[in-house]
Amino acid sequence: MDDLEQIVEVLEEGKMSLEDSLELYEKGMKLVCLCQSRLQNAEKRIECLTGELPTDLS
Amino acid sequence: MTQIFTVTELNSRISDRLEGDLRLHDLWARGEVSNYVHHRSGHRYFTLKDRESQISCVLFRSNGGSLDFEMNDGKNVLVYGDVTVYRPQGRVQLVARGIKQDEGLGFRHLQLEALKEKLAREGLFAPERKRPLPRYPQRIGIVTSPQGAALRDVLRTLGNYPARIILSPAQVQGEEAEKSIAAALLALRGRSDLIIVCRGGGSTEDLWCFNSEMVARAIFACDAPVISAVGHETDVTVADHVADARAATPTAAAKMAVPDLEEVQEALKYTKVRMMRALWTALERERDRLGHLQHALSARRMYSLTRDCRQRLDYLSQRLEGAEAGRLNRHRSRLELMAGRLGAVGPQETLQRGYAIARSGKGLIVKAADVRPGEDIELILSQGRLLCRILECREDEGAML
Repeated sequence: MDDLEQIVEVLEEGKMSLEDSLELYEKGMKLVCLCQSRLQNAEKRIECLTGELPTDLS
Repeated sequence: MTQIFTVTELNSRISDRLEGDLRLHDLWARGEVSNYVHHRSGHRYFTLKDRESQISCVLFRSNGGSLDFEMNDGKNVLVYGDVTVYRPQGRVQLVARGIKQDEGLGFRHLQLEALKEKLAREGLFAPERKRPLPRYPQRIGIVTSPQGAALRDVLRTLGNYPARIILSPAQVQGEEAEKSIAAALLALRGRSDLIIVCRGGGSTEDLWCFNSEMVARAIFACDAPVISAVGHETDVTVADHVADARAATPTAAAKMAVPDLEEVQEALKYTKVRMMRALWTALERERDRLGHLQHALSARRMYSLTRDCRQRLDYLSQRLEGAEAGRLNRHRSRLELMAGRLGAVGPQETLQRGYAIARSGKGLIVKAADVRPGEDIELILSQGRLLCRILECREDEGAML
């Protein structure tokens, strides 16, 4: 998300050439899709350092 | 000694003795309040007692401002002050400089205060040193009891946030709690971006392990920011002070730890919009540039740019023509002049008087000897020519003139 934020800021500054802007845009869109899918597919992943989790958690 | 004292002298001696003893100054005493009187003068008098003994106390009006609770008979208090002797009555008393409610913690409480001061001096509580919490933590460590409600509260509040959750279990009360908590914190080293230390509610006694130096230093030494959700609203433990952030409950800690999922969704959607907009602006800009360039190169513009040149060209060619015409005229007049002069020196007038120019193949015939009879010659008249043949050459006759 932080990377994404950076990309958007650079794009909004508008100081880049058209080609570079397009490249960044692509990158940005890929990141958006990545984040969205991560949010969608989040499974609870919990692990315990000393071995077993209490049964009601896993 | 064989001196006989007056009572005044006696009391004076006693007073000097007691008031000269430094151990009877700046001390704390605890006991129960009885016979409490708030005098008209503003001074408060009471007796401080325990099971076997008692001592008179006075809190003068000038020190009464520091009292932050209501004094009543039966209250357990801690009195801070000096032992003096009220000489007129030869009575030992405790002149109070401050009175606090006695919470029953006593020595432990004072120890705690001392620890807080020590750690504060070492900078463990310093706000500058508190680390900011990561906005999007990917690994969240939790130090708590695996059986307790606190863990469930945290897990429930974290919800579907996509991060790895690492539980480092610890005992959170009892004798072994200190070591257990410190060890659990150490075990998370290098494994998390954020650590939550929490336990459910409990009495001040139950929470005491979080006031320990061991736990405080363990929190300070963590390589990730720590959120402490250990105490109550009223009891702020040492752990709460050392942690990078403090929450009132485990649920609040979890809320602090991760961004709201809906907000993140919204933010993502919005970044899409922002990027598209930014790209669109870039495109528009290029389009404008192109438009400008096109216009700059347009036929119209070219035409208008060359207009001046063309005008100049016309002007110059006009001048040129004018100049040419003038020259021509001059030449023409000159020519006529020349023709006139030429005419004047030419043979035309002579020829018109009847003379002719005789020419042979060899050129002008000047004398009869230039030709032979039978030769073809040419006679040029003022108008026309004659082609002739020589009949006879007579050399002797001179010029006609």
